[in-house]
Amino acid sequence: MASWKELLLALALVGPFTSAGPVAAADAPQAGAPADILISRQLMRDAHLGVGAVVVLATDAEGTRTARFRVAGVYEPVPDPMKFNVKRFEARLHLPDLVALTADPGDPQALESVTAINVALVDPAAAARVAADVSRRSMGVTVRPVARARDDDPFAALDGFHKAIAAVTVVGSTAFLLALMVIRAEERREMVGMLRLVGVPSGSIVRAILIEGLVVAVAGAAFGVALGVAGQYGINRFFQARYDTPLLFVRVTASIAIRCLAVAVPVGVLTGAVASWTLLRRPPTEVMGR
Amino acid sequence: MSIVQADHVTRTFRVPAGPVEAVRDVSMSVAPGDYVAITGPSGCGKSTLLQLVGCVDVATSGTITFEGRDVRALTEAERGRIRLRRIGLVFQRFFLLPMLTAWENIELPQAEAGVPKAERRLRTRALLDYVELSHRADHFPSQLSGGEMQRVAVARALANRPALLLADEPTGELDEATGEHVAALFDRVNRDGTAIVLVTHNPALAARARTHLAMKSGMLQPA
Amino acid sequence: MSGFALARRTAVRYPARTCLAVLGVAVIAALNFDMLLLSRGLLLSFADMLGGAGYDVRVMGGGGVPAIRFPIHDAAALADAIRRLPQVGDVARVRLDQVSAAGPRSGPEQAVTLIGASLDAAHPIWTITAGRSLPVDEQGAPPSVVLGRSLAAALGAEPGMLVRLRAGDRDGRSLLPAIACRVVGVADFSLESARALTAAVSLDTFQAVQGGGASDEADLVLVASAPEVGPDAATAAVARLRPGLHVYSNAALVEQFNRNGFAYFRQMSLVLSTTTATFTCLLVAVLLTVSVNQRLGQIAALRAIGISRQHVAAMLLWESALLVGVGGAVALPIGGVLARALDDILRRMPNLPERLHFFVFEPRAVVLHAALLAATAVVAAAYPIWLAVRLPIAPTLRREVVS
Repeated sequence: MASWKELLLALALVGPFTSAGPVAAADAPQAGAPADILISRQLMRDAHLGVGAVVVLATDAEGTRTARFRVAGVYEPVPDPMKFNVKRFEARLHLPDLVALTADPGDPQALESVTAINVALVDPAAAARVAADVSRRSMGVTVRPVARARDDDPFAALDGFHKAIAAVTVVGSTAFLLALMVIRAEERREMVGMLRLVGVPSGSIVRAILIEGLVVAVAGAAFGVALGVAGQYGINRFFQARYDTPLLFVRVTASIAIRCLAVAVPVGVLTGAVASWTLLRRPPTEVMGR
Repeated sequence: MSIVQADHVTRTFRVPAGPVEAVRDVSMSVAPGDYVAITGPSGCGKSTLLQLVGCVDVATSGTITFEGRDVRALTEAERGRIRLRRIGLVFQRFFLLPMLTAWENIELPQAEAGVPKAERRLRTRALLDYVELSHRADHFPSQLSGGEMQRVAVARALANRPALLLADEPTGELDEATGEHVAALFDRVNRDGTAIVLVTHNPALAARARTHLAMKSGMLQPA
Repeated sequence: MSGFALARRTAVRYPARTCLAVLGVAVIAALNFDMLLLSRGLLLSFADMLGGAGYDVRVMGGGGVPAIRFPIHDAAALADAIRRLPQVGDVARVRLDQVSAAGPRSGPEQAVTLIGASLDAAHPIWTITAGRSLPVDEQGAPPSVVLGRSLAAALGAEPGMLVRLRAGDRDGRSLLPAIACRVVGVADFSLESARALTAAVSLDTFQAVQGGGASDEADLVLVASAPEVGPDAATAAVARLRPGLHVYSNAALVEQFNRNGFAYFRQMSLVLSTTTATFTCLLVAVLLTVSVNQRLGQIAALRAIGISRQHVAAMLLWESALLVGVGGAVALPIGGVLARALDDILRRMPNLPERLHFFVFEPRAVVLHAALLAATAVVAAAYPIWLAVRLPIAPTLRREVVS
């Protein structure tokens, strides 16, 4: 467990981040009574706090400026993929309480200062234009749209990484399916030779092998999707428990399932075609070893 | 003393329709130098009897002794060692290893039996001469004719100088002339001192044996 | 003839299936190898990056969230005290802030990370690629600045030219005047991303850009331990000087990041390497099983002529080992190429230090790769071997003749 000093520090650190967020309903503080705060579920659990507990928040580790607060409730922090491996030790304060605690007493303007102002636009598509406009008019203010450009999005890189791995896996699977189909073709060499000798057209044999390749590939893909659907529960549970977050790490969507099956079709046809070629490229007598 | 002695041997297979007695109360013996042919209709139990005699399978009841040892009392590994060193097996479908040359196929059981390399080389060369395939030593089975493959199979069966050579339909996959060639080879092997028991549908091949046993419904018929 | 020789002959006898199986193993094993590189790559790269500047101990005013500044007060006195410690070889004070910079040509101002560094340290915390490092500023002359490569390109500045630095970032206008600085060099900043715009000046110039005054603060004090004592002793000695400071050796920082920052990639590499190993194992097992089923008659005949179970098992084990082994060997160069490609993809993440890599080669990964593949070969061969050694000889021969 974190020491009391570290806990103070942690509480002090999260203050500026949370002040701009919505403050949950809590009773207004009575004169002399500690003000109400909300604390995150993770902080409550690790610091063994409970609703009604009185805590001291400090602006630094030495505890030079402190204030007492009463825990009025517990909240689940908004899941953030950028912070999934960070312990969410957070507290939410009423803005005046936070300012009173953190403002520099020597700076008369500090009581009027906030770290950030969140703005919800009527038309979110106009975010860039509004940001530029406000930035131009307001000196000393940084205005940024919340939406990230693709270049600035770490998840775009992760997305590309996962797609590259998927592509490599498809290449490996294709090679294996080809090997399997070639073995199966060799196994039936004599039978196919005999069929050709008795006059069964090559087209029928090719069709049968193509269908087999297709069935194996599509059935494999369908099984893979089923396995993925079944596995996502376990993987999500594991990572959710590991990082103490409600975030979903794996989600098999209909689009992913369709893409998976769509990749399986050409793979099946390709492997079937190669297997047929190994059987039909030689005359039937040679195929039968005669 | 006989090489193999079978006394009241029965072999029963359990199939879904009920137990089937493939071999029923058969007694026979094979002595050194014997040349025995077993004939009979398909499914009469000839091959099963051959496998019992060759220590490939074990009787359900009755006793088989091989060179004085009760086969049923032996472990699979011990029976394997007997098959390797004392018995030569020839199959209808040759069963040569396709990735090995004729030379290597003949050398394989010798290597397994621990025959030194120099000795193996001498024996393999002699065996290839014996089956008149010295010129095919480096050929793979796929490059040999059916008769040639069966002759390599005979050479492989003789590789560890067995006391008994067992052949199951050795000419079953061969034409008449080639079959005749292989049959002549068996005659020669027997003349050179190796006991032979063969199972065949081929009357000409059976006629070459000195002892002729007929089987019907799993039982040996009186001559 | 040994099991290995038989397996080798089988592989050569069926070249198409062998090549395809080896290719499949190679591709999947390459992915597996890359996951091994990924599992420790960030750590190794991070450690290399931290150690790159020649300092192995860091002193900070606070721990935890790096976005919050915890300046170290009386930094000059602290640096002197640290330098006098017998466990210490070199000390550098560092200050950091966001400023805006304008180049010699007309163009938009750039938001820049400005580094102020003490010039009494032996090692600069950047690597000069053009020009020279920061000299002691001369009275009356414009102060010197070293620009990061990206910033130099963005401003169109070269050594000898003047740039203007002003407090406050591009959007956050400041009323403080801009300071004209002469570019003396262009450098790589190892802890900054390739796209980051960074400039370095002396602590005095840094203070001047911030509006002057006599502040004696540092955001970071870098310490190089004396080679004969090492970073742990230096860390302990520095920590004793002024309680309340956060003093970390590079190794401790790496360990801290290992626990927090890199966990996702470590977990992902674990999941993916387990998946790929299972995948390889399953597919080799399937191929071998199909191959054994195809050769049942041959195996029964081998057993019938007295070839031992062990010999048959050895042959199949070697077949598996050959497929997996050759595939695993081919996987190394493929994995190398693939690792570069995947590294390039991941390094598109914003604000990543230029020298930080996700996939870093180390001999340990090759050893682990080989061990994993050996285990895979054995497990993959288990079922086909079980099929072959338990094969009933007589019924199989009978079935083969009938078929």
